[in-house]
Amino acid sequence: MGLFDTVTSARALMGMSLAFHISFTAVGIGLPLMLFLAEGIALRTGNEMYREMAKRWTRVAAVLFAVGAVSGTILSFEFGLLWPTFMDFSGAIIGFPFALEGFAFFTEAIFLGIYIYGWERLSPRAHWLCTIPMMVSAAASALFVISANAWMNQPAGFKVVYGKAVNVDPIAAMFNRAMPYEVTHGTLAAYVATGFAVAGVYAVAMLRGHRSEYNKRALVLALAVAAVFTPLQIASGDLSARFLAHRQPEKFAAMEGQFRTERGAPLRIGGFPDPDARETKYAIEIPRLTSILAFENADATVRGLDSFPQDAIPDVRLVHYPFQVMVASGFFMLFVVTWFFGVAWWRKRIDPGRWLLRALVAAAPLGFVAIEAGWFVTEFGRQPWIIWHLMRTDQAATPRAGVAFLLLTFFLVYVALASGLVLLLLRPPGRAARPPEEAADGP
Amino acid sequence: MGLDVIAAGVVLIGLIAYAMFAGADFGGGVWTALAWGPRARAQREAIFRAMGPVWETNHVWLILIVVTLFTAFPRAFGDLFTALFIPLSIALIGIVFRGAAFAFRHYGSEGGARLPATGLVFSAASILTPLTMGMALGAIAGGHIAIRGGQVVTELYEPWLRPFSIVCGLIAVSICGFLTASYMTTRTTGALREDFRNRGLAASLVLGGLTTVAIPVAYADARPFFDRLASPAPIAVMAAAAAMGVASLVVLWRRWFALAPPVAAGTVALVIAAWGAVQYPYFILPDERIDSVAAEHATLVAFLVSLPIGALILIPSLVLLYYTFSEKTDRPAQGSPPP
Repeated sequence: MGLFDTVTSARALMGMSLAFHISFTAVGIGLPLMLFLAEGIALRTGNEMYREMAKRWTRVAAVLFAVGAVSGTILSFEFGLLWPTFMDFSGAIIGFPFALEGFAFFTEAIFLGIYIYGWERLSPRAHWLCTIPMMVSAAASALFVISANAWMNQPAGFKVVYGKAVNVDPIAAMFNRAMPYEVTHGTLAAYVATGFAVAGVYAVAMLRGHRSEYNKRALVLALAVAAVFTPLQIASGDLSARFLAHRQPEKFAAMEGQFRTERGAPLRIGGFPDPDARETKYAIEIPRLTSILAFENADATVRGLDSFPQDAIPDVRLVHYPFQVMVASGFFMLFVVTWFFGVAWWRKRIDPGRWLLRALVAAAPLGFVAIEAGWFVTEFGRQPWIIWHLMRTDQAATPRAGVAFLLLTFFLVYVALASGLVLLLLRPPGRAARPPEEAADGP
Repeated sequence: MGLDVIAAGVVLIGLIAYAMFAGADFGGGVWTALAWGPRARAQREAIFRAMGPVWETNHVWLILIVVTLFTAFPRAFGDLFTALFIPLSIALIGIVFRGAAFAFRHYGSEGGARLPATGLVFSAASILTPLTMGMALGAIAGGHIAIRGGQVVTELYEPWLRPFSIVCGLIAVSICGFLTASYMTTRTTGALREDFRNRGLAASLVLGGLTTVAIPVAYADARPFFDRLASPAPIAVMAAAAAMGVASLVVLWRRWFALAPPVAAGTVALVIAAWGAVQYPYFILPDERIDSVAAEHATLVAFLVSLPIGALILIPSLVLLYYTFSEKTDRPAQGSPPP
């Protein structure tokens, strides 16, 4: 496996594209909820501050949604460009949820369009109601797409005869065993990440001395969303890990850095898995906790990586480290949001101190870090399979040479997209649109 | 008629809708590049405002095509992307830059900030994408993709860098320009409207010329396509397309602007339908038939049942969108969609 052979390049390109896309989808799922809340409060209380909040968020939602749509298109093409063999086998099985996702995405795009351009054209109530189809269709999109990823981990709904999938049942494929766990964890993650990211923006503003009522209220609203969804997300993570311990034990072993099969296995926090020495070094070990968490029994046996065929297990380092990052991010976010509301409840007012604000700024990107890390765990943990125990990733790639060139091209595309976005989003808002006669050339 | 043929019909309808709606957006980039005269800036602004609310929804037709391909025709999907690796990659890069340039410019103009060179990127990408997509369609229709024993055996450049495919690419670009100019006549007034009328007339003539030239080129370079032309269904659809094309000239010439968008859209729909009629019952000429690459019955049923159910949600939403935003765009007001 060379650095830029077809399979490695295809994996790198697919990984880069998904890593990019996934952040925008998280915002696309999370922001409609925030708009629903902000504009809803404005309608209920008549407080124009919340309408202003919704308006400012809408501008950001618009550009991020557009980039999400573009990067999603890249992925749909890459299925064919990079993985034609995989799609040939599984398109008929998991294409169905993608078709449904198309509808859900389309619905969200339409209502977002109405929402963005409809501030003056619709009644305030009708305008607010547009956020409901946006929220529902965004969550439905997540459900459909993640169900396809769940299928790659727990394939269902077909039989294999002479290398071909027959007796296809797209509904059974969609509702595969992993689907409830992955969908819940993947969707809740979006609300957590959006909540903390939005809160971070206002925490920065307050750290710079802009302690306006507006900033405080926006901060509280964003953190309220985070406070509801972070504990739920941690609970769903626990359920997902237990599911893996039972159904995909090699992925679970890699997450926990468990090389040897062990009764009463400890929970390893941190540490460096060493595939040559077959052990995870320098981890903080809490005795028996993995057995308890996974099997509710302190003496339960946890299978180690050594008990699987060695050509069919993931690279433990690529799974263990991201898993630690994800869990650590999750608990840090829980800590910060508890701190915030704890202090507010204690003092009966919202007036976060500098250290709390700094912690909020530190937590702002962590929702996205956790999403990326968790997705690494899912994907690297499934290797070397593209379809678990059925098709190996290196058998699924395109026969075409030149994927390395495509990888380079798209690397530059993503750099351009990301820097364009950063430039735009970091420019101070507020200057009104110039009349068209003075505008520069070209759209 | 089997479910596989209905699913292939969905692909064709998706292509027609993509051409009719998103094609006009690509055409916006073409005319942004070709804007000239005293009102060049006003032309660009009017185009930009017309696309604002709708370009994302127009773009979704492409997703419908891709999803239908890999759900209902997974084998053909794999083969097409393998055979047309390069043109589809270029089209994709074009789509990405075009979408991003538009979104950035839009966001920038609302906030008063603007990124450099987005106009240029937008125009270049708007021309490149339909060109390469047209070339890919030309390669499929021209019988240039060879598949033996389930494997694509043509080389990277062989199927699409040839005369017939190139003519198809140029047809695709002129379709976009023609649509945008025709649509814009109902969205502008006065001298600006005259500009778009003249552009529509020119594009209409170019499109007519290119589709006519395509036939002798097919004789020389795309015999599988040419040999299928002389059957009743293709002849009927092509005649209808030609008649509609003439009608679009008349409509623009006589300044019956209210009729220009539907007639232009109809012309484009018929040109693409003619391509479909020639191809039928092949999916990829001449090696893969629709029935030999279609997915299993259960998949086709689930997919085809989901379409009308989805449409029940989508069509009222779309009507709401287009209803909310239909007005002229030559004034600095919020934009409106193509029809």
